[in-house]
Amino acid sequence: MSTALSPEQRDLRDAVADLMTRRSPEQEVRRLMAAEPGYDPAVWAELAAMGLLGLTVPDEFGGSAAGASELAVVSEQLGRALLCAPYIATSVLTPYLLLALADTAECAEALPRIAAGELVTTVAFAEPGAARPPELPSTVASQAAGGWLLTGEKTYVLDALCAERFYIAAQSPEGVGIFAADREAAGLAVTPLTTIDQTRKQGQLTLKETPARLIGSPGAGGAALDEALDRAAVALVAEQAGGAMHVTQMAADYARSRYQFGRAIGSFQAVKHMCVDMLLDAQSALSSARHVAAAFDASDPDRFADLALAQAFCSDTFVSTSAANIQVHGGIGFTWEHPAHLYLRRARTDAQIFGDPAWHRERYLRLREEM
Amino acid sequence: MDIRTEVRQWLAQNWDPAMDRAEWSRRVFEAGWAVPSWEPQWWGRGLSDAESRIVATEFAAVGAKGAGQDRSDLMACTLHDLGTDEQKRRLIPPSIRNETRWCLLYSEPGAGSDLAGLRTRADRAGDDWIVNGQKVWTSFAQKADYGLLVARTDWDVPKHQGISFFIFPMRQAGVEIRPIHQITGESEFNEVFITDARVPHANLVGKPGGGWPVLQLALAYERRLMGDLARTSRASRDLKPDADSLIGMARSAGKLGDSHIRQDIARVEAYAAVNRWNTRRAKETIDRAEAATLMAIGKIAMSRILHETARVQTDIVGPESMLAGPDNPVGDAVTFRTLNAYFTSIGGGTDQIQRNIVGERVLGLPREPEPYKDTPFRDLPTG
Repeated sequence: MSTALSPEQRDLRDAVADLMTRRSPEQEVRRLMAAEPGYDPAVWAELAAMGLLGLTVPDEFGGSAAGASELAVVSEQLGRALLCAPYIATSVLTPYLLLALADTAECAEALPRIAAGELVTTVAFAEPGAARPPELPSTVASQAAGGWLLTGEKTYVLDALCAERFYIAAQSPEGVGIFAADREAAGLAVTPLTTIDQTRKQGQLTLKETPARLIGSPGAGGAALDEALDRAAVALVAEQAGGAMHVTQMAADYARSRYQFGRAIGSFQAVKHMCVDMLLDAQSALSSARHVAAAFDASDPDRFADLALAQAFCSDTFVSTSAANIQVHGGIGFTWEHPAHLYLRRARTDAQIFGDPAWHRERYLRLREEM
Repeated sequence: MDIRTEVRQWLAQNWDPAMDRAEWSRRVFEAGWAVPSWEPQWWGRGLSDAESRIVATEFAAVGAKGAGQDRSDLMACTLHDLGTDEQKRRLIPPSIRNETRWCLLYSEPGAGSDLAGLRTRADRAGDDWIVNGQKVWTSFAQKADYGLLVARTDWDVPKHQGISFFIFPMRQAGVEIRPIHQITGESEFNEVFITDARVPHANLVGKPGGGWPVLQLALAYERRLMGDLARTSRASRDLKPDADSLIGMARSAGKLGDSHIRQDIARVEAYAAVNRWNTRRAKETIDRAEAATLMAIGKIAMSRILHETARVQTDIVGPESMLAGPDNPVGDAVTFRTLNAYFTSIGGGTDQIQRNIVGERVLGLPREPEPYKDTPFRDLPTG
C-alpha cells in the first residue's frame, strides 16, 4: 500500500479539479446554497458521466469499484471547492451501507441508478441529541400485515430535502434494522433544518406508521451502519483535508498581497507564523487522509484506530485553519461577501456529522486499550 | 560486481574487531571507503550518494567504523568543496583517518538566531590571525584539535560581508573551555573563551570577508548529517511516544478512567501519528516540492510532539512531577522530558526561526524588511 498517487490517480485528481473550477466556483456555491434543492442536476449528471457517482459501487451494479484511495483523491477536490451536492450521502454512504447489508435485490435496484445519477438517496441514522447513531433507536419498526411500519423521528439527515429515498435505522424486535422508504411514502414528512452551513443541507424526518422495506436482515443494521460510516469517513476526512489545504492557500495568498504599514502583512512574523501553523496542520490532515485511505484499501489491522485519530485531527484542523483564515483576512474576512466564512461553516458541520472529535478520541483510546 | 557485494567482500577480508583502531582507520582510508563518494584523486572511489550510503550501511552492519565520512566529517566536507589543494592535502587525511577531531565555533552569547551578528574578532598579524571572543554551544570542544570558526575580520562593511571562516587550532594557550550546565542537569555543550589565540593565514577557507557562504555550505552539510542521524539513531525512535507508554503510564497512575487525560492522550498520539504519516508521504511521493514541504515542517512538528507529550505526562503523574532524583524515577523522567523538549524547539534554529524559514521558502511570504542591510557592522545598534 502506498500514499503516493499513481498516474491514473493524478489524472483523476486533475479531471475533478478541472470540473470543480468550471462548475463549482464561488458564485455557483452561493447560488446553490441559497435555494432548493441545493445542488445542480446538470453538474450531478456530469459527475455521473465521469463515473464519480459510482466510484464506490461494484462493477456488477454499474459502478467502477474504485478503492478508498480514489475516493479520497476525488473527495479532496470536492472539499476544496465546497461542492454543493449530495455526494457523501448518495454516492458514498448509501452504497457502503447496502453492500454491508448484502441485500442483492436492493443493490441491483438502487446502485445502478445511483451510479447513473438517476437516484438521490440518503441515510437517516441520527436522532435528536447525538450525531452518531444511537445504540437503541427510539424510531421503531413494527411488523404489520403488509410489511414493516416505521414510527419515530430522525434528524441531522444529510441532503434530506433532495433525497428521493431514505435508508432509515430503526429498532425492530430483532435489533436495529435498516429500512427503505421513498419520499412519497405515507406518513413520511421532511422538515428542513436551519443549518449554519447551507452548502451541506440537512433535514428532520418524521415517520408515522410509514410503510418501509426491510433491507438485509432485521438485526444487521447496527453493524452495517458502523461499517458504512467508517468507510464513508475516509471521504469525509479527505474533504476536510482538501478544505484545510484550500484555506491555508487562501491565507498565504492574502498575506502576500495585502499591504499595511507599507509592507505585505505576511512579512510580519505574527501573521507569517499563523500561516505556517495552518500549513503544518493542513499538510498533516492531507497525510492522514491519504494514509487512512491506503490503510482501508489494504485492510490494515490498525485502520480503525488510525481512522479515529484522523477523524479527530482532520475535524479539529479544518475548523482551526478555516478560523485562522478569517483572522488572517482581518476586516474583509468578517464580511458575508468574502468566502472565508463559508469554509468555517462547512468545517464546523463536518466536525459533527460523523461524530465530534472527542467521540473519535475516546474511540481511539478504547481500541488501544483492547490491544 | 555491485557495490554491496564489493564492500561485503572487502569487509570479510579485512574487518577484525580486535584490530588496533588507528591501523583500521588507515586501511579504510587507503581502500577509499572513508569518503567513497569523492573523486579518486581526493581519497574517494567516485561513487554516487546512494552507493556511498550502501557502503556506510554495510560497515554499520558489521559494527565497523570509519566509512561515510563524506557525510559525517563536516570539516572534511567543507574543505573538500571550498578548501585550497594545499589545505585539502594537509587537513583532510588526518581528519578522515580519525587522527584529528573537530568542533564547531559558530554561536555566541550575542549571536544566536542572528548568527551573522557575531562579534568574535580575527585581526591579521603577519602570517597569522589573532582571535579574540567567546563561542558557545560547542560539543566535544575538549577533544577537538580544530574548530570550524567564524570570526569578524572587517567591521566596516555590512554584517554578512565582514565574516571569515577558519580552521582554528584548539590546543593552544588562549583557548579556555568551560562546560555549560544545562537545565536538564546534563552537560553536552561548552563555552569556548578565546583570548589572543592564533590561527595561521594558511587555515583561512575562502577569502577574507568571504566566510558567510562557506558557513552556509558547512551548515547545509550539518543539516544533512542531522537528518541522517534522526533517521538512523536509536534515540530518535525512543522519542516517538508510543501508545503503550502514555496509556500504560495513565494506567499505573490510576488515571486511565479520567476523560480529560484520555482526550489528551489521543490528542498527543494524533500529533505523533500525523508526523509519521507526513514522513511516509514525503518518502513515497514523486513530487519533489511536496516532499520538501513535508520535510520542512518536520522539526516544528517534532517540537510540538515532545512538548505536548511531556505536558500530558505531567498531567498524568500529577504531584510526582514535583519530585526528582533516583528515588522518584517517574517524576524525574517526566521533568527531564519537559526540559529536554527545548533541546529540539531551540537547538538547530528555534521554532520561531523555523517558522520564518518555512513561511518564506514554502509559502512564499516576504522576509521582514532589513533596515540595516547596507549598514557597516560597527554602526549597528546593539541594545
